[in-house]
Amino acid sequence: MSHWLELFVHWTAGFGLNYSFLLDAYQRATLVQGALTTVLLCLFTIVGSLLSGVGLAAMLTSGKPWLAKPARVFVEVTRNTPTLVQLYCAFLVLNMLLTQAVGAANPLTPFAWVVIVISLHKGAFHAEALRAGIEAVPAVTLEAASSLAFNGRQLLWNVQLPLALRFALPSLINNLIDLVKMTAVASAIAVGDITYASIMIWTQSDNVLELMILILSFFGLLSFIVNCVGRYLEARLRMPGYGH
Amino acid sequence: MPSTETVAEPLVSLRDLHLSFASNPVLKGIDLDVHRGQAVSIIGPSGSGKSTILRCITGLLQAQRGTIRVGATEVHKLAQEAQRIELRKRVGFVFQQYNLFPHLSVLENLVIAPRKVLGRSRADAEKDARALLAKVRMEHKADAYPGQLSGGQQQRVAIARALAMRPELILFDEVTSALDPETVGEVLTVIRELTEEGMTCVLVTHEMRFAEEISDIVYFTENGVIVEHGSAEQIFQRPTSERTQEFLRHALGDPGRRPAVANDPYLLTNLGRYSLSV
Amino acid sequence: MAIESSVTAPVAWSRRHVGKLLLLIGAVLWLLWFAPQSPVLKALLQWSPALAVGFGQNILISLVAIALGSVLGLLVGALALSPVRLLRLPARIWVQVFRNAPWLVLIYFTTYVFPFEIKIGSTYLSFPDWVKVTIGLALPASANVAEIFRGAIASIPSTQWEAARSLAFTRGQIFRSIILPQCFKRMLPPWMNLYAVITMGTALASLVGVHDVIDTAQIASNTVNITGFTVVIYLSLLVLFFAYCYPISRLTQRLERRYAFY
Repeated sequence: MSHWLELFVHWTAGFGLNYSFLLDAYQRATLVQGALTTVLLCLFTIVGSLLSGVGLAAMLTSGKPWLAKPARVFVEVTRNTPTLVQLYCAFLVLNMLLTQAVGAANPLTPFAWVVIVISLHKGAFHAEALRAGIEAVPAVTLEAASSLAFNGRQLLWNVQLPLALRFALPSLINNLIDLVKMTAVASAIAVGDITYASIMIWTQSDNVLELMILILSFFGLLSFIVNCVGRYLEARLRMPGYGH
Repeated sequence: MPSTETVAEPLVSLRDLHLSFASNPVLKGIDLDVHRGQAVSIIGPSGSGKSTILRCITGLLQAQRGTIRVGATEVHKLAQEAQRIELRKRVGFVFQQYNLFPHLSVLENLVIAPRKVLGRSRADAEKDARALLAKVRMEHKADAYPGQLSGGQQQRVAIARALAMRPELILFDEVTSALDPETVGEVLTVIRELTEEGMTCVLVTHEMRFAEEISDIVYFTENGVIVEHGSAEQIFQRPTSERTQEFLRHALGDPGRRPAVANDPYLLTNLGRYSLSV
Repeated sequence: MAIESSVTAPVAWSRRHVGKLLLLIGAVLWLLWFAPQSPVLKALLQWSPALAVGFGQNILISLVAIALGSVLGLLVGALALSPVRLLRLPARIWVQVFRNAPWLVLIYFTTYVFPFEIKIGSTYLSFPDWVKVTIGLALPASANVAEIFRGAIASIPSTQWEAARSLAFTRGQIFRSIILPQCFKRMLPPWMNLYAVITMGTALASLVGVHDVIDTAQIASNTVNITGFTVVIYLSLLVLFFAYCYPISRLTQRLERRYAFY
């Protein structure tokens, strides 16, 4: 393993790039840990955002104003304010209040706060996409299902949700790719993701460019994986006659 | 009351039906009877409330006044959705477009309601479905998706899907209006065969010649009231009301003629008479 | 099916939102009444000019970034449409790289890579941090503008191209006279949306040491050191950004509806 690393460092040194930190066990470990943290963040936030997106979409389309209005206010506020500010509000304000209230029993780590904030933030975008999908189901198709004696729940599960999901899928996948990029903001509250680990390394070795290339490739790879999964899902759920 | 001989109680009976959307009255007193085994057509200009009548019969819309009876069920008295769902198991409905579920194949479209609503087994439902598809001559497309079918093919599948619930009565809401002329015929053939087999049908249609051919009774509606009704021969050959006559005149093929303008040099038919330098 | 006739005269904006306006006026009056008494609100009033200046910095960065990004993006977009492969490929790569890069990483990159002053001739021009952040934001902005441009061109039905060609237009003429005039209208809503997103992205500037509104808020919170004040100041950050970006998003929705062609 270290043999390949040495070869790599030597090869890149030929271009003037300084990757010697890879040979140092401690710095290498920090970077790998950071990469793992980023992957974990992505996984948790993807699941969290999809769940909160479905929940918010259900509230938005429920038809009951006492559910729909707060959901709409939440969606508009999260979509029109920066993620970083939301993260600070959660971590610096809510967390502080929580710690003041319960003291050491506060179970939420910075990692947890990042997952919560990004899940809710992206959940708002998912909710909009799902709402558009639900509204794109032709009313006549729902009437046709009604006329086949489907009850409300059967209508939702068998007709409305499958169609809404298929209509909303491209937007949802785009949102998830955005989400992968957004996890970089975790470094702002000292969560040890790959960005934070890289900052630690380049402040010592001053090899910003090399680490940039590494981080960009890493995020590029993650986006590519999400994109591939998305395309696979689109192919599986494709309805002939719609889209291409 | 219809004037043809009534041996038994009508299967569907509407009396003095009134319905308004917000402050806009659509049905202003409808009386309609459909006997078992009859084919009834409702014709009339757009906006006269024809589709609304059908939707009232199956409980998709609720009237403000009047009575609706389907078999032994008093539809206007049904308060809960669950009761209306029971009614819809006995009344089939075929819409103008976007009927079928695009995410399911043709076979699955036919099988889903009998399985989930009537609780039949998959094997039973599929056997029935294939027989119905053969009846509408679509058995070769059982695994195709609605998006891959033409409009006429989709409507035939929709009719088969309504039949899969084994209803007592089928309602057709302008099912050929969205189709191009060549495919209209294939759908009408299926409906004709259904009526010949004795299925009770109520059709809202613009296909006048077809309505004349298959209907036992024809109702002509305009502005939310039934202007005239009677046997097909009566309405189409010897309409008594002035408005019926005018409607049939327009509908049966007098589109009006444009007065010829002889001296306009840019009128295409006159182009040959004037020389244009290019 | 009969259509409900909904012929009612449109009600004036102020009458439709009477409830919300009253609430807003009530909140302002409450604030003005309690401000002299509560230390938190007094401190907030004290710090508001600094917050305003900081927010002005954010807005400045966003305006320059979108301007730079639009010019660059249109150029890249035009190159991406070129029939010459040598021009098309780099443009496509540019768009792919900068759309898939996290903005924070790009900002760190431009901040650390560029020197803190440039030598032109014999004078030293200082290269302030906010300019570096602006460049860092202009890069993904350009990629997004190129994509918006491509989307607008693709949304014009091919029948227009065919009709234009059959009327003997050359490729350049088709672009200038037919395609581009239509494109700019279609590009406007997503472009405005991009501007709102960039404005929200300027918040990241605080992480590289630019004295923007978030940095000011952090300094204020540390200086005043009252729990209530910390809550209020971060909430006011939310309010500031919301007050700026929400009208933009509403305007975008209105424009989308007006220009809907599909």
